[in-house]
Amino acid sequence: MYGPGAVPEETAAEETAAEEMVPEEMVPEDTVPEDTVPEETAADPTSSASSVVSRAIRCGARIEDGVLVTILAVMLLLALAQILLRNVFSVGLLWGDGMLRVLVLWVGLLGALAATRDDRQITVDVLSRLLPGRARAGVRVLVDLFTAAVSGLVAWHAGRLVLNAYQYGDIAFAGVPSWICQLVLPLAFGLIAIRYLLYSIRHLGQALGRGGEL
Amino acid sequence: MIQALVLLLLALLGAPLFAVICAGALSGFAGSGGELMVVPLEINRIADTPFLVAIPFFTFAGYLLGESKAPTRLVQVSNALFGWMPGGLAVVALVTCALFTAFTGASGVTIVALGALLYPAMKEAGYDESFNLGLITTSGSLGLLFPPSLPLILYGIVAGTSIDKLFVAGILPGIAMVVLLSAWSLRQGRAVVRRSAPATPFSWRGVARALWCARWELPLPVLVLGGVYSGLLAVSEVAAVTVAYVLVVEVVLYREIPIRRLPAVMRESMVLVGGILIILGASLASTNYLIDAKVPATLLAFVTSHISSRLTFLILLNLFLLVLGAMLDIFSALVIVVPLILPIAISYGVDPVHLGIIFLANMQIGYCTPPVGMNLFIASYRFNKPVVMLYKATMPFLLILLATVLAITYWPWLSLVFVR
Repeated sequence: MYGPGAVPEETAAEETAAEEMVPEEMVPEDTVPEDTVPEETAADPTSSASSVVSRAIRCGARIEDGVLVTILAVMLLLALAQILLRNVFSVGLLWGDGMLRVLVLWVGLLGALAATRDDRQITVDVLSRLLPGRARAGVRVLVDLFTAAVSGLVAWHAGRLVLNAYQYGDIAFAGVPSWICQLVLPLAFGLIAIRYLLYSIRHLGQALGRGGEL
Repeated sequence: MIQALVLLLLALLGAPLFAVICAGALSGFAGSGGELMVVPLEINRIADTPFLVAIPFFTFAGYLLGESKAPTRLVQVSNALFGWMPGGLAVVALVTCALFTAFTGASGVTIVALGALLYPAMKEAGYDESFNLGLITTSGSLGLLFPPSLPLILYGIVAGTSIDKLFVAGILPGIAMVVLLSAWSLRQGRAVVRRSAPATPFSWRGVARALWCARWELPLPVLVLGGVYSGLLAVSEVAAVTVAYVLVVEVVLYREIPIRRLPAVMRESMVLVGGILIILGASLASTNYLIDAKVPATLLAFVTSHISSRLTFLILLNLFLLVLGAMLDIFSALVIVVPLILPIAISYGVDPVHLGIIFLANMQIGYCTPPVGMNLFIASYRFNKPVVMLYKATMPFLLILLATVLAITYWPWLSLVFVR
């Protein structure tokens, strides 16, 4: 259900070269190659009710990827414009650097969200690969719930942070209020938490022997 | 203490590192009655960190290069230059991988992109399986001391050291690694050549043809280094210019990446960036807690009261980093550990730039050591060989790298000659 959604026609090509570029050994045998799982079956046993949910999730994924790609493109254009203005016309956008830094935060956290969707967060994972399939899925449920709880907690406090910034009316750059810049924190961590909750459900199914191999 | 053990267990069971580190920071602040809002506030500091923008840009540029036929052209160039030597193909592999890794930041792209070309070629030339596998696996992280590799940039950011200086500091140690590995490979290669057909003879025309094919990519190292050292551009700006240049070259001039493919490559590269930055954010928070709890100061006092000489410190540092590299990937290790060991190293008179090179050189070995050596797993997947076989195959290469690491550690001149 978390098939890369950015550019649908690319998904098949993407898995060949790109899948192994993870800075971790999250390689084949312990990740379900999402692209090969038909999206419907991934959407959980109780499928009729969840088909709306899974469609919403797919649509959300598409939006996430769209925003991620757009932000990177904007960063690039802004950085290049800045260089051109400074070196050729000896002027610069005063807010340019500030905005660029905020966009790094956005692209980083949305990238982390995409990494979560591909189940490619950086892990150490020494022990679980030694376990047999069912037990490994069981351990994953635990790990998923832990990660969801931590991310949720960070999202909650990030929400408070944003609220604070809103009430104090802090300004980040060029009249853009800080709370808008910080909005990505509760957003990304909240969505990461939800993803891990969904993973925990899927892995629970596998641990109970309903979802097939891990 | 119990908290720490539980977190360690969760990490070993495969919990994402960012969650483990965040949990550590949250429970630490909660335990001392602090405000938990500090954790997201610290993560938000990513937006205050200068030069960080270089990381998404260089990563994207590296992925673009990996997506194009740049690896093939790079192999052609080095083959034309070194392929005539007996055993020269191994040197071709080493040089190509090192240059390519500098641009892709040892993210595993090298083994994927170049391994597919070099492994069959070396097999054909008659190199034995074990040597071949060991060489390709080790080469996957060779070159991370060369600019503009991501770990170099990240160290500069975390340690607050000049990235410009780090870029030059890595050059000699990096060359030393390539030269030593090449020398050994040439020695091994002699036997191969006796068994099989001679290598292609050297020809100026061949060189010229290969150079001409790669004419648009050859200026890249000059662009990066020239941009930084001419003083015209900051590192982050060089990164932006590099992306623009690579985009023009691969999309417009060579036409190897269709425009509609770009969003997918962008997303793919940002998955890596996101994985790194979220850990950086989390460890900003955990480092803040550790400083609150005076851990670095305590650690410094402890170490200085037990270790008197700089030499002993360096030996222990090497051992520690080798173990660390076997457990953590280079990016996580950087952001978590550098804030802790930097003050200690400085108190023993180790230059922060030198420390960076020592750190990365040790971590490079960690890429190929069990249990977590990333190169081992990527190569195992890529070439469909059991990991245990790769342990054995990489061993001689690791010993050579280890010798280089020792030279780098105890001979600061190698790193600092151009910096001073």
